[in-house]
Amino acid sequence: MSDVLEALVNVGVLASAIRIATPLLLAALGEMVTERAGVLNLGIEGTITVSAFGSFVVADKADSLWLGVLSGVGAGILLSLLMAVLVSSIRVEQVVAGLALNLFGIGMAFYLFRAFYPQTGGEMPRSDTFDFAEIPLLANIPAVGEIVFGQHWLTYAAIGACPALWYVLNRTQFGLELRSVGNNPAACDMRGIGVTRMQYLALAFGGLMAGLAGAFLSVFLSGLFFVDVAAGRGWIALAIVIFGNWRIGRILAGSLLFGYLDAYQLSLQARGLEVPHQLLLALPFALTIAALVVNRRRSQEPLHLGVPYFRGER
Amino acid sequence: MSAGISNAPGTSSGSLLRRAGWRLERRLEVKPWHEVVTLVGAFIIGLAICSILIAASDKSVVDSYRALFDGAFGSRRAIYETLVQATPLIFTGLAAAFAFRAKVWNIGGEGQFFAGAMGAYFVSDLWSGVLPRGVMVPVLFIGAAAAGALWASIAGVLKARYDTNEIITTVMLNFIILLILSYLLGDLWRSPDTFYFQTVTLPESTHLPLMIGGSRLHWGFGIAAAMAVVVYVVLRRTALGYEVRGVGINRTAGSYKGISVPRVTVLVMAISGALAGLAGAAELAGVHHRLQLDISNNFGFVGIIIALIGRLHPAGVVVSAIAFGALVNGAVTMQIQTGIPAALVDVIQGLSLIFVLTGAVAVRYRLQRTRTDESLPALADPTDE
Repeated sequence: MSDVLEALVNVGVLASAIRIATPLLLAALGEMVTERAGVLNLGIEGTITVSAFGSFVVADKADSLWLGVLSGVGAGILLSLLMAVLVSSIRVEQVVAGLALNLFGIGMAFYLFRAFYPQTGGEMPRSDTFDFAEIPLLANIPAVGEIVFGQHWLTYAAIGACPALWYVLNRTQFGLELRSVGNNPAACDMRGIGVTRMQYLALAFGGLMAGLAGAFLSVFLSGLFFVDVAAGRGWIALAIVIFGNWRIGRILAGSLLFGYLDAYQLSLQARGLEVPHQLLLALPFALTIAALVVNRRRSQEPLHLGVPYFRGER
Repeated sequence: MSAGISNAPGTSSGSLLRRAGWRLERRLEVKPWHEVVTLVGAFIIGLAICSILIAASDKSVVDSYRALFDGAFGSRRAIYETLVQATPLIFTGLAAAFAFRAKVWNIGGEGQFFAGAMGAYFVSDLWSGVLPRGVMVPVLFIGAAAAGALWASIAGVLKARYDTNEIITTVMLNFIILLILSYLLGDLWRSPDTFYFQTVTLPESTHLPLMIGGSRLHWGFGIAAAMAVVVYVVLRRTALGYEVRGVGINRTAGSYKGISVPRVTVLVMAISGALAGLAGAAELAGVHHRLQLDISNNFGFVGIIIALIGRLHPAGVVVSAIAFGALVNGAVTMQIQTGIPAALVDVIQGLSLIFVLTGAVAVRYRLQRTRTDESLPALADPTDE
């Protein structure tokens, strides 16, 4: 029992909570921006997988981690632009396009992975990984230093992106326009704001962030690629956006909470404790459903989320 | 492409088209053959793009596709196996098609599949020692349908009562049920003689009889085909079907016609969940005979794709489920014979869907030759068609 409690505040658990939260936060921020422009992108899981592969293969073959990150991000943006063509230009049903992208993306990544690395039965191919970017001096603070200042540079970047994104969305003309597109595309159209252009930009940003999340999984965390590398993180990111009611502060809190629950159950499992860790894992999803019900009267959900916009129709 | 299809007259590619003397206009009526051409075209484009992938890896495209086809339809055995693969997809495809007809976006087929398998296992565990096979198998299917319906109803009730987005709730419920199953498999339901997360093998009395002796083709396929007919009849010939289609076309207008939209929403969710649950029963009692975490090959999600490719029509669902079953089945042979990773099939499926979706929009329009001289008003020119 004391083990169960000790793990709650264990320094290692808290540090890994932040690590686990990083890809969730990245993908959720991207998805939030995409949804603010009125597009529900269910294809994040596929985007993360494709990016994880893109980062992995380039990092391994070109022997450059930075090129790896870059190509992962590129792959993420490309796949999201395909989504943009489908939903903003051709205007197919967003839900379906997202699911198609998942199937296509995951299949493609795994196909290419097998084409580059034929199954040998030996060890899994492994790329280099980034070292932790300890912040000098601050990292020496007991406990806090290890938890907060001994992370990857991408973790700092993800957290730093929160205020920056908040500023852009809430304090600039561009941010206002982007949010308007998700709430009232017809009015935007009349004001001369390009709805399609804005959705392309939002999706590209979502792809960039999901791309970073994918890169984080392969060339930061493990140096591995496998077909289930995303392991539902794309869907969890989606949950976090709703849990956070489309607000950046709460999305950050939600990512940390979900990351923490995961880190906690992992450590319980690692200690061989017989606790139903599945229930801890299920908690985020149950909380998300609860948040949907509780927040329904003050929901920040974009009014036109998921509805294709046709000029001159309806 | 974008601007051409949109009704935006001022956009660049629209005027590009017009300068070339063409214009896109909405078809007044989309004929069935238009749709068939689109579907076949989409599939061919998907295959064509994949042949580039095959060629890029220095393999023979013809040999690869021949192996794929042989594996799927090359022999009696291959055909039976294709139908085995198609069986769960028919159920999940029908589940999605039924819900989508009412514009209820049930993305939870995957979770409802597992709920169904769990329901089937639960009743088998309870009664397989007591009931004879002739009773046990139907009971098992009923248990699965009930469990699937129950699980889906959560999302249905939440939508009807609180107007929560069912896309989100069903996705969340997918994860929750898998984690519950994982918990049960590690605890209450775990087979005592194994380290793996799996139940004991269910006794003979729960096994679905085979349709063709000596093959793996079980009666689940027959039941699936029968369900397709049932769904067709329900949609076309019953009051419920009328309500489902009515709500699907227009929720507000539906309520004015005296349809209780919340009631229909819950009902549609439950029926859709029951259909997906039956897939779980068919796989458990027809193929695996024990419950594990990996008994679904993404059936719930692929079912959604099948429903859309099948144009939300039961017959279309059956045809596209068999086509997808063939791809999955043939891919195994292709991988063995040519070394092309079976994952190529996912790419073909994903691409086909993307083109089907595109085609479904594109088919509503047609290119029309316009006058080349833009200065004349349209109706004044007698040579204008």
